[in-house]
Amino acid sequence: MFDCGMHMGHHDHQRYPDFARILAATPGADFTSAISCVVITHFHLDHIGALPYFTEVCGYHGPIYMTYPTKALAPLMLEDYRKVMVDHRGEEEQYSYEDIQNCMKKVIPLDLKQTIQVDRELVIRAYYAGHVLGAAMIYAKVGDAALVYTGDYNMTPDRHLGAAQIDHLKLDLLITESTYAKTVRDSKHAREREFLKAVHKCVSGGGKVLIPAFALGRAQELCILLDDYWERMNLKIPIYFSAGLTIQANMYYKMLIGWTSQKIKDSYTVHNPFDFKHVCDFQRSFINDPGPCVLFATPGMISGGFSLEVFKRWAPSEKNLVTLPGYCVAGTIGHKLMSGKPTRIDLDKETHIDVRCQIHQLSFSPHTDSKGIMDLTEFLSPSHVILVHGEKPQMSFLKERIESELGMPCYYPANNETVSIPTTKNLKISATDKFIASCSTSQARDSTQKSNLICGNHLSGANGDEKLAEGILLMEKSKDAKILCEDELLQLLGAEGHSLQFEPLLHSRIGEAETDIVDDLASE
Amino acid sequence: MREELGGDGDQMDRVFLQLSSMARDMCTEVRIEAFNALAKMQRVSEGVLLQSLSKKIIKTDTGSASSIKGKKLPPKLSFPCAAGIFAHGVEDEFYQVRTVACKTLGALAKLSNRYAQKALDLLMDMMNDDTEAARLQTLQTLFDMATYGCLSMQEKHMHMFLGILMDANVVVRNAARKILGSVNLPKLQMFKSALDGLIAGLEKNPEDQDIYGVLFSIGKNHGSFSANIAKHLAKEINVASDGELILDKPRIKALLMVSVSAAYDDKDKKLDIPTVIFSHAIPLFGMISCALAEDEQDSLLSYLYRQAGMQFWEKKLVSAEGGDYECFSVETVGGTHAQVETTGKTTKYLDEVVIMQSTRLILETVKGAWAVIKPCSIGEVQSTLRTCKEEVNILAVNSSGSTSAVLSFVCDYLDALQLIVEIWWFIQLDDSHAFGHTSLDILLEKLDTSVRRMKCCYAGLNRGLEVQVLEFALLAILCRLFEFGTCSKLVLDKLHWIINHIDGLCADGSYELSDFSKEVKKVFDGNFIDGTPIVNIYTFLEIFDLKPARDFEMLNATTAVLQVRDTDSENPLSYVYGLPVGVTFDMSLCNTSSHDRIWLRMVACQSVQHVFLDLSCFEGNDKMKSCSRVIPFYATPMACSFVLRACLVIECPFGSIGTHQEGHGGPKDCVVQLCDELDVYFVSADTEQRQWSK
Repeated sequence: MFDCGMHMGHHDHQRYPDFARILAATPGADFTSAISCVVITHFHLDHIGALPYFTEVCGYHGPIYMTYPTKALAPLMLEDYRKVMVDHRGEEEQYSYEDIQNCMKKVIPLDLKQTIQVDRELVIRAYYAGHVLGAAMIYAKVGDAALVYTGDYNMTPDRHLGAAQIDHLKLDLLITESTYAKTVRDSKHAREREFLKAVHKCVSGGGKVLIPAFALGRAQELCILLDDYWERMNLKIPIYFSAGLTIQANMYYKMLIGWTSQKIKDSYTVHNPFDFKHVCDFQRSFINDPGPCVLFATPGMISGGFSLEVFKRWAPSEKNLVTLPGYCVAGTIGHKLMSGKPTRIDLDKETHIDVRCQIHQLSFSPHTDSKGIMDLTEFLSPSHVILVHGEKPQMSFLKERIESELGMPCYYPANNETVSIPTTKNLKISATDKFIASCSTSQARDSTQKSNLICGNHLSGANGDEKLAEGILLMEKSKDAKILCEDELLQLLGAEGHSLQFEPLLHSRIGEAETDIVDDLASE
Repeated sequence: MREELGGDGDQMDRVFLQLSSMARDMCTEVRIEAFNALAKMQRVSEGVLLQSLSKKIIKTDTGSASSIKGKKLPPKLSFPCAAGIFAHGVEDEFYQVRTVACKTLGALAKLSNRYAQKALDLLMDMMNDDTEAARLQTLQTLFDMATYGCLSMQEKHMHMFLGILMDANVVVRNAARKILGSVNLPKLQMFKSALDGLIAGLEKNPEDQDIYGVLFSIGKNHGSFSANIAKHLAKEINVASDGELILDKPRIKALLMVSVSAAYDDKDKKLDIPTVIFSHAIPLFGMISCALAEDEQDSLLSYLYRQAGMQFWEKKLVSAEGGDYECFSVETVGGTHAQVETTGKTTKYLDEVVIMQSTRLILETVKGAWAVIKPCSIGEVQSTLRTCKEEVNILAVNSSGSTSAVLSFVCDYLDALQLIVEIWWFIQLDDSHAFGHTSLDILLEKLDTSVRRMKCCYAGLNRGLEVQVLEFALLAILCRLFEFGTCSKLVLDKLHWIINHIDGLCADGSYELSDFSKEVKKVFDGNFIDGTPIVNIYTFLEIFDLKPARDFEMLNATTAVLQVRDTDSENPLSYVYGLPVGVTFDMSLCNTSSHDRIWLRMVACQSVQHVFLDLSCFEGNDKMKSCSRVIPFYATPMACSFVLRACLVIECPFGSIGTHQEGHGGPKDCVVQLCDELDVYFVSADTEQRQWSK
């Protein structure tokens, strides 16, 4: 089972996957015996959110695989979510803190490019996916059938993570995310430039910048960007991190430096890039301090908590700036700010905020765009493609593209829909020496002809390399199949070779005119 | 491989697309090589190039000509293979790839203008790259593009670009400015913001003096914009009263620079640059000339004069002669000097002009001081002289060539004057003898030396200067006569020789005989029987008049360098006491003429030895001649070690009158040192032996 996430939009039983379907597919078994293992690609809740529930409540006891950083950061995310769910929304808790702890104890950590034999048939291997720290793409192979499940990935590197990287593999199936199935994003640099320009303009005008951001990933990326810019421009304005989860996350980033991008790894020897030079901790009392500053605060969508508190104070001044992340859930203040420029936001019946500050919208996304999906698909060239993690209309658009441009059958099954993919079964067939010898001589003959072709305009590629050879496939019971030459078969069977000859029989009617000639001949 | 080319597609495009597909390879090295190979492409159709910048698939439609080489590509053709390779390249995880991608972006820019414009967007974003190598490569690429003329800056890029001008890294800043100097800015607004950026840079990093050079070349490239700036600046200058507009302010300097530059290339005088700009720009001459090639300096200066519509230096001098001396107080000189200092990177040429100007002012001041010596107290004059001398010394610090000769001459001149004033003060005292004869003796001797130096150590003294020096010599002799009351025939002979000489110099009427000379001539013309005329020194001193020379042309100092190779106090030469020792001297003489008599003087303990140097043995011309000779020193003392003080001296002849006629082989007249005394250390070769023998 790949990933064990939850739906953030639902607050009832629908938020978790319908685990019963696992049992339905294999009657009579429990979860542990029904699936060989669970592989988690990264620590986002839509990929891991249901895991404690599955292990502790449903009672799955089989192996769980995830990368080291995911294992380290997942409990943070899960606990944070559990707290929000229970403490803030007052919901009934689905799993406890202990459940998370117990669940994490069952996890087997995985390293990149490490091949793990899960059971007799199943082999899994993780590849670097970008996206977030520790995100992985999973290559799985059962017998001869091979597939890659991408999880979420990013084909363009960002400030702290590299681009997804994978080997050339022979695949029957590629299951890829398709969050941005239709969008082609322009250069990230332009967005960075806009962001820096906006921030610089604001602080040089004496304003305060509020960056509500998720604790993990985005905050670090923006922080690296700002820290670097501060260094180059020799700015002295303080950058603050609101304490809590972010600080803890920064610590993990420092430890898990090997999972970040090349640049970070390069500079690590001289200075840990997550030791931000210009960043200091934020004290609650700083909110009302005069003078410019930049503040990173959680949560990302100003849905509450500290970022809301700061927003209330800073929003009324037109000097200040609020930088919003790419996506905000409807109903949050972030969403209101992004959908038009409101001048007044009502928190509840009594309180409202006058919004006079500037709003800058960030569209940094750790997901790959449609071009990235196409690139990866083309690179891996699987026999079949399945699109997941996307919206239906966009996926159907991408499906068309993949089928028309790459010529691969592509599916985007809805929930509860089953797709069966034909796989290839490879048979190992031994060939006799004589057969190989005869093949190679014919190949040598061809290659001399081919060498002349290379100089020509012969770019169509692969087809030219396939050669035909004649042989006889011998399959006997209880023996491996093998390929023989013609005369070898005779020897093996101890039979004599019969040669069958055909003689052409021509039916002809000799016409009148010819009769004369025949007659003439006869007369001679 | 996908079918993406029509049958008749350009072969080069095919190659380009092939390479493009490799530029997205998973392997870093492959990507680097792919970009390297792409950079070598010489002919690619514009459609493919544009596609390589954009990740979005561009559908080329039938209407637009999508090929640069005249070939029409089939309609509705797209190149998904090349899509956005550069957009990816400049965002690559590895800076090596980014750097190469950036280089390739620039290399292909000369193939298509539309491509170049779009590529600029990507390159501008590269400026935010976190690796310095990539940023520098970006700047280099931009510079190359600017050189090829395919870089046209747009307004949206300015913010980013001005940001780099303030970069903390000096290399980056320099590179950015270099680009700005050759880029074309299409709008006045951009031009102004570029100027503002540069000026801000100047204020933040005052050490970046090359900004002025950049300002000049920007101004030159954008003539009409600069003219606009010039007009505003002229208004500002006119509005500001004298005190407020300080030329030292970087902003004003920068704007002046731009304003002047506009007109410099404007041979047809189409641009209307206010004259006031030029007169204010003259102090910036040094910086402007730095921005230009060396050989253009003369024409530049004359150009500035002409544009300023006035004869700058001449005008000042005229007023100097007309006005009274008060306006040339020491402060003025100091002011001129301060100006010299603030100009900073002033070129040698400007140095000379300013130094000469200052020197003249100093001499005027001295003249004024001498004029008021009668009513005023001597002390005040003395302090004025002292200040003047200090000024000259400061000026002399960074002068060279003929300027330094002039300054050292002026220095000697002031020395002599100071001594005369001091002597005057001495003999005024009723009981001058209370200080003893010796003090006055020393002063007189010093005065003699100063006069001799002026007389002998400078080649190319013009007539005015020569007369002045001779008058000093006369005054020195008169002081001596007054002091001792009697005089030998020798002194009188000298006096007569000098008078005759002055007479001769003024004979053709080009130079008027001064009152002082006339008076001296009158007193000493008669033949005295007892040979002792009564000298009223006060009269002479009062009528002694200074005529500061204004023309120091051709003045060169006679100097010499004396060296002994491979020895110092740590490594002495060895000798056998009592026996002559040979010393290898390296000598070089500057500005000596063939009739100068140069001696090598060697002094050890009490023994003095003079060796006449035959100048014909020297190699080189009058300007600079040198030779290396082994010269024996005979009178080695009976000591285990000694110091030989060697010095090159020049004979200071008064016609054929010789002072020393003892025939000891030395110079027959007074000498003047041409160089500092050189110490040569000797140690006895057989010290130990000697000790044993004792």
